[in-house]
Amino acid sequence: MNILLELGLYFSLLSLLSVGGMPSVIGEMHRYVVESRGWISHNDFVEMFALGQAAPGPNVLISSLIGWKIAGVPGALVTLAAMCGPAGVLSFWVAGVWERLQGTAWRAIAQRAMAPMVVGLILSGGFVLATPGGTPDWRLWIIAAGSAWAMVATKLNPLWMLAAGAAAGAILL
Amino acid sequence: MPVTPPRSLAELFLGFLSIGARSFGGVMPWAHRVIVEERRWMSPEEFTATIGLCQFLPGPNVGNASIVLGRKWFGLKGSIVAFLGFFGLPFLWVLALASLYSEFALQPGVKSVVTGVAAAGAGLFIGTAIKLGKPIAHKPWAIVVLMACFIAVGIGRVSMLIVIPAAALISYYLAKRGLL
Repeated sequence: MNILLELGLYFSLLSLLSVGGMPSVIGEMHRYVVESRGWISHNDFVEMFALGQAAPGPNVLISSLIGWKIAGVPGALVTLAAMCGPAGVLSFWVAGVWERLQGTAWRAIAQRAMAPMVVGLILSGGFVLATPGGTPDWRLWIIAAGSAWAMVATKLNPLWMLAAGAAAGAILL
Repeated sequence: MPVTPPRSLAELFLGFLSIGARSFGGVMPWAHRVIVEERRWMSPEEFTATIGLCQFLPGPNVGNASIVLGRKWFGLKGSIVAFLGFFGLPFLWVLALASLYSEFALQPGVKSVVTGVAAAGAGLFIGTAIKLGKPIAHKPWAIVVLMACFIAVGIGRVSMLIVIPAAALISYYLAKRGLL
């Protein structure tokens, strides 16, 4: 199959699954493009993730960087459009309905049902990124634990955690 | 302080452009600053309600918010204009940065630094999960669902296409019984 078409279809599906945003689907994205299709290496994936996190802008741009690495600028456009499109259409449509559901039992139940799933999925994304090939590397885990702690315990701009990660990487890795 | 919605598509575009352009280290704080504090397009309460909806929906939160708010003020045209304004500059910058990076990628030391940044980024995800998980940590069934999702997707590497529908059904049932 044409690679742009396949990227478009796959990222459209991810778009609809991405409750909780980009962090929820990063583990699945890695599974597909690195482990299942072998389009790019784990290293490429991690590099694009790091660039996407450090650059200004929404972190959904990580998907366009992955698309860029796989299929150049057309790949970047296709993955971004596919990642935002279906969810965007859904948002457009639901925006009207949601107001009317305010205070209904269904809305409260749906919100409570989703919370633990989103947390488990985001945790998966963090774990996959910090554990290349499923093999623990304590140096990566220490860096990840440090920035997770800083995020929970302080109100620092996350850029400081990324900068500390860069410094720790230069020393430890 | 009275709130005034954007009067023209150009104003909407420029507002979202300035959110995208300045959002170093996270978009949400900048969206709040521009929409609520600088341009006073809506009250803090309305903003929180909109973001709540966008967090509930799949897709990038602030990307969805650009669509929902654009629609609220100008219909479909507004959605498209706000979305393009928001993504335009960050999309160009991130590609420029990636091209620049490929020039230096083979320099010694670059890989270590980038791997370190990625590990710290992974930590930010874990920190986010901890923050979101705190309010539900006292519910045993929430921990079960959370760990089941983590083990299936994070460790077992099972496709989300299988995990999400299964987990959603179970989770919805538990929530309905008042267990979540």
